[in-house]
Amino acid sequence: MVWVSSPWKIALMVFPAFILFTAFFVYPIVYAGGYSLTDAAGFSGADFIGLDNYLALVDDPFFRRSVSNTLLILVLSVTFLVPASFGLALLMQQRVRAAGALRALLFGPAIVAPILVGLVWVFILDPRVGLLNHLVEPLGIPPVQWIGGDSLTPYSIAVVFIWASVGFAMTIFYAGLQLLPREVMEASSLDGASRWQQLRFVTVPMMRETIGIVSLLLITNVFKIFELVYMLTGGGPVHSSETLVSYMYFVTFTDQRYGSGMAIAMVVFVIGAITSLAYLALSRRGRLA
Amino acid sequence: MPGQNLSWSRRLRRPVGAGLAVTAILSLAACSSDAGEGGKTTITLSMQNADVKSADPATWAIVEAFEEANPDVDVEVSGQPVAEHLQSLSIAAQSDTLPDVFWVYKANAEEMLEGDRLMDLSPVLDETGILERLPDSTVANYTADGKVFGAPYQGLLTGLWVNNKILADNGLSMPKTFDDLLEVARTLDAKGVVTISDGASQSAFSVWQFLVWLDRFGFQDKADGLLDGSEKWDNPDFIRMYEHIAELRDAGAFSSNVSTQTYQQAVDQFLQGKAAFLDSGVWAASAIQESEVAPDADFWRGPEFSDGTGEQNIVMNVASAPLVVAKKVAEDDAKLDAVKEFLEFYYSDEGQQILVDNGQPPVTDYEPKLDPVKQSVLKTAIDETREDGVTSPESQPDLLFPVDVSNAIYDSIYGVIQDQLSPSEAAALVQKALDNQ
Repeated sequence: MVWVSSPWKIALMVFPAFILFTAFFVYPIVYAGGYSLTDAAGFSGADFIGLDNYLALVDDPFFRRSVSNTLLILVLSVTFLVPASFGLALLMQQRVRAAGALRALLFGPAIVAPILVGLVWVFILDPRVGLLNHLVEPLGIPPVQWIGGDSLTPYSIAVVFIWASVGFAMTIFYAGLQLLPREVMEASSLDGASRWQQLRFVTVPMMRETIGIVSLLLITNVFKIFELVYMLTGGGPVHSSETLVSYMYFVTFTDQRYGSGMAIAMVVFVIGAITSLAYLALSRRGRLA
Repeated sequence: MPGQNLSWSRRLRRPVGAGLAVTAILSLAACSSDAGEGGKTTITLSMQNADVKSADPATWAIVEAFEEANPDVDVEVSGQPVAEHLQSLSIAAQSDTLPDVFWVYKANAEEMLEGDRLMDLSPVLDETGILERLPDSTVANYTADGKVFGAPYQGLLTGLWVNNKILADNGLSMPKTFDDLLEVARTLDAKGVVTISDGASQSAFSVWQFLVWLDRFGFQDKADGLLDGSEKWDNPDFIRMYEHIAELRDAGAFSSNVSTQTYQQAVDQFLQGKAAFLDSGVWAASAIQESEVAPDADFWRGPEFSDGTGEQNIVMNVASAPLVVAKKVAEDDAKLDAVKEFLEFYYSDEGQQILVDNGQPPVTDYEPKLDPVKQSVLKTAIDETREDGVTSPESQPDLLFPVDVSNAIYDSIYGVIQDQLSPSEAAALVQKALDNQ
């Protein structure tokens, strides 16, 4: 009898993945972490400066703005995107006319490159030439600064992000719903459960894993938003619509402050990891309860 | 005998293998040497535009003419957008694999010179007679530790392009002072016409006109102090300059989508006759020449300020970022000769006329030949530099500082234009960047 699960065989099989993981995940993080402790600026040498880059971030109003914008987009996305995509998946499960075409239509934005999504929405949201202001103008509403103004830009980015992601999330929910055992649903019907009760006490609890996965993907995607900001506003006016990643790009590549940029990258990594782990922990607690 | 054959085959295998290896090494050496196919020497030229042929036709045309005149030299041109270009240079500088000739910001060039990555061009520029044809201020600007590290890539002649028809249609005449400009802005805003076309999205650097304003508020006198820390950016003169930008903004001078439109869209706005002025430079001359606004186009050096503290009668006509040469070029005689020939051609009268033919002013003392009809737009800009008493600052203010300070300067100007920063906050933003150096 040959035991595949002997320790050295397991180690051998894990080794290639371990090498790849180390090379493409662990090493870049360690490298970025190391650089974040230097004053690297590209063309000159990098001197060790300890935590100065991190301390400077605390005092950087643009960085604080990028954190608050990212968190705002995160909250809006989790609040609206998860229920909306779940609701759409439930709708798709019903016998809807042209359901396939509708699914394809909803999934469409997910396969469009974010840079193009941004470009399309510029023509909708631009305060001067955008479609939206042209539509509301006949109603006597003055032009609104959907993007490029003081306050609405992060909300607009969240709306575009939700629009671009809803089809993808819906598809995952739809696949999850297809896997639910029919017997359980039938049994609940026989027990006299209403549609709402079925949804609340049967469907949602059984979909908890899928909801967790979608939420996790959503959280990580929000922390990666770059192209939408780049196309919609370029991070402006004066960095007021930056997200963490777009500001990191600006600091690293436009300002050529590589050390500071890597410090932001580490902060993004830590915030993303903590948020994801916290969410997973909460989900697990909910499952065990 | 099979055994004997095998033995011969084994005996032959080693020398044949060795011969093949030597041949391969020699072939590779031949490929990597400067003398390429047909005895040609290859030099690499790396620029700050993704598509040099279309985005920088002047450089492209010079390279083509140079190759035609020097069939023994092949110039490999490559280009990337500025940020990517600088990032690639940064990596190449660390591994000493810089291109032979390349465009780079002055501050970055100084860092590379300090890191011993750049060639001292003094002997080359002296030997080829280029040095004496360049303005003293340009040579001084590109000199550090007694070494000339660069030569001007193109001229930076900036100002406001004017659509005279819009002014005339609205009963306005060409402004001269800031108060005149303010009046123009108020009148045009009331009629729904954009006064100054600017675009901040992905092009925060497009504030050339306001960089001239800094000089009109004493930048030249303060430059050394700002660099050594004895002078502050948030001084009363600069704050007053920002206040004037705010006045212009409040008069409705800028487009309501200045935040979201790019520089290219700002250019389009002007070319379509939807803005009275365009904040730009001579590089826009060709596009204007080909547009419908060409017959009405004019060039203005910008307003004079009654409360200004610097020279008022100035136009920004300086060298832009430099072309530099990697130090390793000096280690290869063939390549060094090719680079010398290239630079000699670039700054020759023929090279400078190619610049002019492609909408760029000359960077040497060459007197360009301008077609008054086909180059009427460029002519207006060059004529502006020749008006009585008009002088130029030695350098554009942002080009004297490290990139992050330059970005802070752009942010401070657009911050006021977009009503995100008060004048004092704008000045403080740049001062903070200076303090961080």
